[in-house]
Amino acid sequence: MAVDPLVAASVRTTVPLLLAAGGELLSERAGILNIGLEGAVIAGALAATLGVGPWGLAGGYAAALCAGAAVGLLMALFVVVVRADQILTGTAATLLAFGVTGAVYRGVYGATGVALTLPTSAPFRIPVLAAIPGVGSALFDQPAVFYLAYLLIPILWWFLYRTQVGLALRAVGESPAAAGAAGIAAGPLRAAAVTVGSALGGLAGGVLVLAQAGTFAEGMSAGRGFIAIAIVVLGRWTPLGIMIGALVFGVATAMQYVVQAMGWPIRYELVLMLPYLLTLLALMFSPRGVAPAMLARSDV
Amino acid sequence: MNKRRFSIIINTTIALAVVACSDAPKSAGAAATPFRVALLTPGPVSDHSWNAGAYEGLLRIRDSLGAAISNIETKTPADFEDNFRQYGAQAYRLVFGHGFEFQDAARRVAPDYPNTDFVTTSGNTTGPNLAGLEFDLANPSYLAGMIAGAMTRTGVIGVIGGTELPPVRKSFVAFEQGARRANPHVRVLTSYIGNWDDVSAGREQALAQIARGADVIFQNADAAGLGVFQAARQSAHVYVFGSNSNQNDVAPDVTLGSVVIDLPHAFLTVAREVKDGTFRGRVISLGMTDDVVSLVLNPAMTSRIPAPVLTTVDSVRAQMLRGAFSAVDTLAPVAP
Repeated sequence: MAVDPLVAASVRTTVPLLLAAGGELLSERAGILNIGLEGAVIAGALAATLGVGPWGLAGGYAAALCAGAAVGLLMALFVVVVRADQILTGTAATLLAFGVTGAVYRGVYGATGVALTLPTSAPFRIPVLAAIPGVGSALFDQPAVFYLAYLLIPILWWFLYRTQVGLALRAVGESPAAAGAAGIAAGPLRAAAVTVGSALGGLAGGVLVLAQAGTFAEGMSAGRGFIAIAIVVLGRWTPLGIMIGALVFGVATAMQYVVQAMGWPIRYELVLMLPYLLTLLALMFSPRGVAPAMLARSDV
Repeated sequence: MNKRRFSIIINTTIALAVVACSDAPKSAGAAATPFRVALLTPGPVSDHSWNAGAYEGLLRIRDSLGAAISNIETKTPADFEDNFRQYGAQAYRLVFGHGFEFQDAARRVAPDYPNTDFVTTSGNTTGPNLAGLEFDLANPSYLAGMIAGAMTRTGVIGVIGGTELPPVRKSFVAFEQGARRANPHVRVLTSYIGNWDDVSAGREQALAQIARGADVIFQNADAAGLGVFQAARQSAHVYVFGSNSNQNDVAPDVTLGSVVIDLPHAFLTVAREVKDGTFRGRVISLGMTDDVVSLVLNPAMTSRIPAPVLTTVDSVRAQMLRGAFSAVDTLAPVAP
């Protein structure tokens, strides 16, 4: 099996998952299980599609971030302000996002749409690193937004474990009472966490459109937001853990593509199971971890 | 109290989703009992392929027969039956379930609504008020395969589908047979995306095949297939054949042609029967001789296809139209 295509496909598959999972980690560490993440991804995809025309690629990514943040604000409004049930709110936010993106897309492009051909980000080659044999060009000859995704994990680690705000955010996710006693306002922090987290989900949608598909299709998020939520569990709510989780899923998915293209006489349904099977195995054998105590609770 | 507030959110959301996904039935002028026709699609009608063609068919029925129309994009197979029943209960005259996968639900629902005629596209289940609308994709796919086999420089070509539905598989096997006729040593890679809307995954499946040397890819994956065009565009010397709708405009620089089903024509034919009262439950087979399926070459790309290849394709096409040759006869290994 050729290594290069496998590594390249792994990187491309992992990056959107990593962005969305990073966002979900932020949100869950503050105690909010953001099922609306899938909605943020599809909203980001459509916003990138609409934004890239007038504002260029950077504008497209910015629009994707904003659309994701808008879904996050909706979550924050109902979960933090109204204190509605997180799972129901998240489900509603995702359904709403699917409905609204479909309606807006057809409003703009007509009922049967048009064959959109959007500009996509050109690879930005990092000298020296891209020359590493085997993995160099797959990792370091990519659109610039990919490098942002690579940096997300160290940034999240630094933020959560090395800053005051990060400590406060973790405290809110574990014990809002204790955090309150220490003078931390839980509400604004939780609202900010779910908004920024959803914005990252939106960016993942932007990557799907502007760095990969070059077009928009309704439902093209195809469950990546939900998979990102699973990756956060798989990664035991730590930045390093979700990076490994995203890689497990990304590499397994890429293997699925490559194995099918080998032309071996294997039923394709079995090959398509591969990422899910490996993820389940990884879940069985990954070290135990504890979810934030306030996760998915509305009685904060 | 939170619960009550919440149920308002949910209800509003569902209402919005329904509004977003369906056209409310429109009144057909002053007719007392309007001729009402509905369509269930398995995916968004903005896919430039299978579902878009059906929606255009529905619009054609509205414009040509003055029908009141409605359509729903079903989300899961569990919705198929509910949505059929919903239209049956409203006494729609004709309901299309657009895909092989709608057959079981249609078979269960049809006997309960004898005044409604049910048609499943590419189905073969029948009843008094239940018909299958079958398309002979094999012949045009075979012709596309002949071109692919002659055009490949690497001797490797690919087919990419959404899921392995029997009509899709049949079309792929015919494509392969056609390619072998042009190039007996051609190698055919087969990949399935697993769904019909993940554009990125469609692109990745294509890139994986291209990395294995595939340089002509035939795709039948609706919206997800849009990613195949994108992959071809980013690779050197890779060509694509589209399917279901005329996809030559999706990526004119890499698309050799499309295996097109004239769904509007087919839908209108059936709707006319229902309106005239001549409809019978049966398998309606439509093919090249009915002008419903065809291989439509991309005019911008025909200059890349060697003239002798085009001549051979034209003569085989002529044989098919005369009934002297059918690609279906070459498909022995394909189960029904």
